[in-house]
Formats: sequence, C-alpha cells, structure tokens
Amino acid sequence: MIEFRGVYKRLGGEPVLRGIDLTVPEGQTLALLGPSGAGKSVLLKHAIGLLRPDAGDVLVDGVSVVNASPSELKRVRRRVGYVFQNAALFDSLTVAENLWLAQDDDTGRRSLRECREEAAELLRRVNLDPSVLDMYPAQLSGGMRKRVGVARAIASQPRYLLYDEPTTGLDPVNAETIDSLILELDQQLGVTSIVVTHDLESAFKVGERIALLYNGRIHVAATPDELLASTDPVVQRFIRRGRINSPVSV
Amino acid sequence: MKAERDTGRMSTLAAPRTLLAIHGFLSHVGRATLMAWAVLRVLPHPRRYMRSFLHQAYWMGVRSLPLVLIMAILGGAVTSQTTGNQFTGSVPVWVVGSVTVASMITELGPILTGVVLVGRIGASIAAELASMKVTEQIDALYAMGRDPVAYLVVPRVLGGLAVLPPLVALADFAGIMSGYLVGLVAVDGLTTAEFIYGARFYFRPWALYFSVIKAAFFGLAITFLACYIGLEGGRGGAEGVGRTTTAAVVATTLVLMILDMMLAPLLKMW
Repeated sequence: MIEFRGVYKRLGGEPVLRGIDLTVPEGQTLALLGPSGAGKSVLLKHAIGLLRPDAGDVLVDGVSVVNASPSELKRVRRRVGYVFQNAALFDSLTVAENLWLAQDDDTGRRSLRECREEAAELLRRVNLDPSVLDMYPAQLSGGMRKRVGVARAIASQPRYLLYDEPTTGLDPVNAETIDSLILELDQQLGVTSIVVTHDLESAFKVGERIALLYNGRIHVAATPDELLASTDPVVQRFIRRGRINSPVSV
Repeated sequence: MKAERDTGRMSTLAAPRTLLAIHGFLSHVGRATLMAWAVLRVLPHPRRYMRSFLHQAYWMGVRSLPLVLIMAILGGAVTSQTTGNQFTGSVPVWVVGSVTVASMITELGPILTGVVLVGRIGASIAAELASMKVTEQIDALYAMGRDPVAYLVVPRVLGGLAVLPPLVALADFAGIMSGYLVGLVAVDGLTTAEFIYGARFYFRPWALYFSVIKAAFFGLAITFLACYIGLEGGRGGAEGVGRTTTAAVVATTLVLMILDMMLAPLLKMW
C-alpha cells in the first residue's frame, strides 16, 4: 500500500502540492489525472524519495520514505518499478545493458548467457523483439523506448509500478499499445500501480480508481463510473475538455 | 543627497548579496565534502565499480595519450629553443639540458597534461553527467536503488587518479626528447654530450616523484570537480548543460593552477 499523508511541496517558491492525502491499496491501479503542470509527476517522485516533501509523509508498505535511512530507502526502491516520462534509458548503454543494470545484484554470479536470456524474456513481456537487445536507445522509436523503460521497471520484479506519463508523445496506436501493456502487466504480475497521465482516455482505460489533482490537492478520487456520473463542475469541465481533445470518446 | 541615499541603498543591498555568495560557496563545499565521503564509502567495494573503472581508465588514458604527447613534444621543443635563444653567449650552452629537463618534469609535463585532461575529460564528464541529470537518468539510477556515486563518480575519479601519473611520466619523457632533438638543430653549439651533462647536472629523482605526485593530485581534482559540477548542474535543459560544461572547465583550470602553486613548496622538501 502507498499512502501520501498531507504532502506539501513548494518548487521555485510556488506551492505545487498543498496537502495531498491519497491512499493506493494493495493490488489497485490508480490513474492520477490532472492538467499539465498540476504537480502529478512531482507527487509521483515523492513515492520513492526522489523529492522530499516540505511537510507530510509518504509511506510504502508502512515504511516512511521521508524518514527512511539510506539502506531502508534502497530496499523500498527495489520494491518499486518506475517508468519515467521519456523512459530515461542510459543512452551510453545498449538495451541489454540497461536491463542488466536494473537486474544486477552486484554479485556477478550469473553468466552472460543467463543475463541475455533474462533480458530477452523481459523484452518479450513488453511485446518487443529480443533482436533490439544490442541496440542503443537512440536507435529505437519513441514507443519502443517507452516499452524498454517498462521492461527495465519490471526487471527487479517489483510489487509497485509507477508510470509517469507513459503515453505522452506517442501516436494513438502506440498509446493504446502502452495502455494494454499496463493492463496486461497488472494482471500478470499482480502489482499495485499508479499511472500519472493527463490523457483522459488512458486514465479511464487503465484506472480502477481515478484521482484528479487540481490546485495542488486531490479534488476527487473515485471509480471511473462515479467520476463520469459526478456533477462536480471541475470534474465535468475536465471530462468535457478530454472528450473534445480525445479522438475516441470515453 | 540623492547620491548619498543611492550609495546607502547599494551598500545595504551589497551586504545580503555577499552573505548569499558566502552561503552559496559554503553550501558547495558542504555538498562536495558529502560527495567525497560517499566516494570513500564505496571504495572498499570494488565489485561495484571495477568494470566501469577499467572502461574509464582506458578511455581517459589511451584515448588522451596522442594529444598529451603532442602537447608535451611541442612544450619541450619550445623550451629548449627559447632557453637556447635567451642564454646563448651569457651562460654555458649545457644549461639548455638543465632547463628543459627541469621545466618538463616539474612544471610543463604535469600542467600540460592536466590542461589536456581538463579540456578532454573534465568537460566531457561534466557535460555527460549534466545531460544525464536533465534526461532523468540520474533519477533512474536512484529509482533502481543504485548509487550514482558508485556507478558514475567513483570509476571516473579513480580513472583520473590512475591514468594521470603514467600520462605525465610519458609526457615528461616525450618533452625532454623533443627538447633534446630540437635543441640539437636549433641551438648553436649544443651537442648530445652537453645536453646530457646539463640534464644530469640538474636531475634529482625526487623531481620525478614530485611530477607524479602532482599528476595524481591533478587527476583527482579534475575528475572529482567535473563530476560534482556535472551532478549539480544541468538546470535549464541544453543551455544548462552548456553552462555546466563551461563552469567545469573554468573551475577545474583554476583549481589546477591553485594546486600547482600550493604543491610547489613540496619540491624543496628533498
């Protein structure tokens, strides 16, 4: 379970998060929706201690990420897979080396062949051909890079998967593929996921629950059906806007 | 009256700015000290950085060698010619051998190699780490439970520390040889015997140790500072990476010269 308790954060002197209270129960996929610049990615980074809140706390499996010792924080991070907005693959390493870095336990016990087989299996899981193992990130398309990013995130067999704008910058077909992949992985791995997105269609497709971040607070957290039925003007405005922008209505 | 008021306002503004600058400098010193401590804590675990260290040492050493040798050859050639031109007729010509050996070993070898490494390695390290920060690759390391210091900083710092002393030794040798050969051609009356006499007259083994010790300090300072500036920088996208690289080159060059000055008294110790 991931819990955000009264998370407050200022960036560049401006308050971005103004007291976030949000709980993501075990096994649930939460879509964190909100306009661009609302602080969704900022909130997600708090979950693994990449950012520290000015006030409040974040708990992963009951362990405070804010007050954790470096070794505790490392253990928490090994339980969480993080998919970055632009994949954040190491561009000086091949796809295989990127995956080994996430798998590598520093013991060096596994042979090169075993490592390659495990990396190939990870790529198959995200519907990529293992022939890309020896390619560099710059040689891959945007959609492929995102999928390698997902493969890297699941390499350490995490209990939690955090996706930061996984469909941003992708064409509708690739975005659809990534959404399906998120659903597939949720079912296969039984992980708890948070998907940060401003893509309404994607949020409704992958989210069992959707939280709307607005003005630095969680404005509403509800199931997709409850959200569609909501008469709240902010929710209505957001959904209406999403319908206009989306090629397929939700 | 107005001028007095303006002067008063400027002095009241200058005070906080000075305090901010001091605070900024002390913050950097504190963060750099923490990074140095993190480097020391990783050192007893060679498995975590050995592969990357070997790669870095190869890249820094072998790839820098041609440029280091060219710089040293040119430096030696200039020294012997200039000494010959200035001293001919006033002091014995074998002094060319003494001056060439002395200046190559104690000063030109280390400093020219250091400058090559600032431009070739320091700038490259700072730009690489800053762009990794911009593209969230550093965050990705943290997210995977990896320590960026072990993965990125330690191999580079150890690489610099390991390759600079042998590079400087080779630069010293190349500079002396080129000084000798160019001196034979360009300095009137200089013979091999005189150059060797001059060289032996001056030479003390400690000078060679001094050269290598200086090189180790330079290697450590260039790579550590470039890593620190790279990891701290990168704000503002591509422009930020450019600014970070420039800052790294300026700071490492300055520190190189300061270290050079501070290490000079060491030569007199033996």
